[in-house]
Amino acid sequence: MQLYSEFLKQLVSWQYQLNNYISSTIRSVNDENSLSASFLVLLIAFLYGVVHAAGPGHGKALVAFYFTSNKSDYKKAFKMGYMISIIHALSALVFTFGIFFILKTMFRKNFNEFSQMTMQISAVMIMLVAIYIIYHAIKDKNAKEKDETPKNKSEVAVAFSAGVVPCPGVMTIVLFCIVLGQYLLGVLAALMMSIGMGLTISIAGIISIAINKKAGGFLDSKAYILEIFGGVLIFLLGLFLLSAAF
Amino acid sequence: MFKVFVFLFLFSSTLFSHPHTFIDVYPSIKVKDGKTTEISFKWKLDEMTSSMLIYEFDQNGDGEIDSQENYYAYKNYFAVLEEVSYYTELLLDEVLQEPIVPKNFKVTIENNRVCYFFKIEGSYNVKKLSMEFGDRDFFVAMVLKPEFLNITGAKAKIDDIDRDFYFVHRLELKE
Repeated sequence: MQLYSEFLKQLVSWQYQLNNYISSTIRSVNDENSLSASFLVLLIAFLYGVVHAAGPGHGKALVAFYFTSNKSDYKKAFKMGYMISIIHALSALVFTFGIFFILKTMFRKNFNEFSQMTMQISAVMIMLVAIYIIYHAIKDKNAKEKDETPKNKSEVAVAFSAGVVPCPGVMTIVLFCIVLGQYLLGVLAALMMSIGMGLTISIAGIISIAINKKAGGFLDSKAYILEIFGGVLIFLLGLFLLSAAF
Repeated sequence: MFKVFVFLFLFSSTLFSHPHTFIDVYPSIKVKDGKTTEISFKWKLDEMTSSMLIYEFDQNGDGEIDSQENYYAYKNYFAVLEEVSYYTELLLDEVLQEPIVPKNFKVTIENNRVCYFFKIEGSYNVKKLSMEFGDRDFFVAMVLKPEFLNITGAKAKIDDIDRDFYFVHRLELKE
């Protein structure tokens, strides 16, 4: 745990530096309007996304639970990682632009309220996904065969439930760009940040799949137990988040 | 396998927790005869958070915060931090004291960054006193560096303390 603690501390330090760096670079774009500075902003946004998602959060635990309890390949990990991060960033973009342009005044207050509301929605959705996973694990066991269609649906549901909470990190950058009148740069920076976050979340999924594969031989015949267990953990996670969102 | 799940569950307990706002903490402390005579703070918020707050605070857009705007900032953005003890905890002989009560709150804008100024009252024995700065929710990262300190009449030491899911910077004073 000491190592993990040091790792988290280092992540915070990097985020602090990147946060300073990205704001000063965006401001220099605004002052000089240079193309190279704009590309630099996008590069930093990507790195910021990688580091930002490496700490606790951004649905990595959910992805980890899901892939540890469901058979999948590495491509699916990338697919889900990017689905989460893109939904996360799009949600942030929609909320930020929506709040800013529809409710120009007091937007910060509304941002807080929307943030809490989306956290509650996300937590309930996570619990519903968990129930869905448990239900299908039992159904699959009874049918003695795997049904791939509902699995794909549950992946989308997992990604959506984790990603629907708008990323405050993305919102901050987008708002900063809006305030400086750099709308396009704000959108592009949000997308680059989501690509960076997607990479990190996908890696969390890949690690979980690797763990699952290692245990696969032993658990093949009892896969439904692992799926139910994973579903219960996801449900508890949703319950915890719901309690934290009030 | 179970250990992996337990680890992941613990790991996930801060699912939405990672810093999005960074605050540089500048403590200014005067010590005389082993006791504090003045404790004040300056918080310098990161530029991106500042840009949102400036938009909100500086209603007339003159680049300065007047008394009315200062009151608005205090009421809507600073006073609510009482819930989180203003991210500042005072300990005497390692015993947590009553939450701090900030006085003389003032907001300024310095180089596009919002700065909060406030002081706390009370005279404390520096041998027993320590302060911790951090956000339990880990949404805000309080940053304390040796170069931010302005302490007269005592020596200071900074430590980073791991509180499992968030970090605090601990400031200890020595005569």
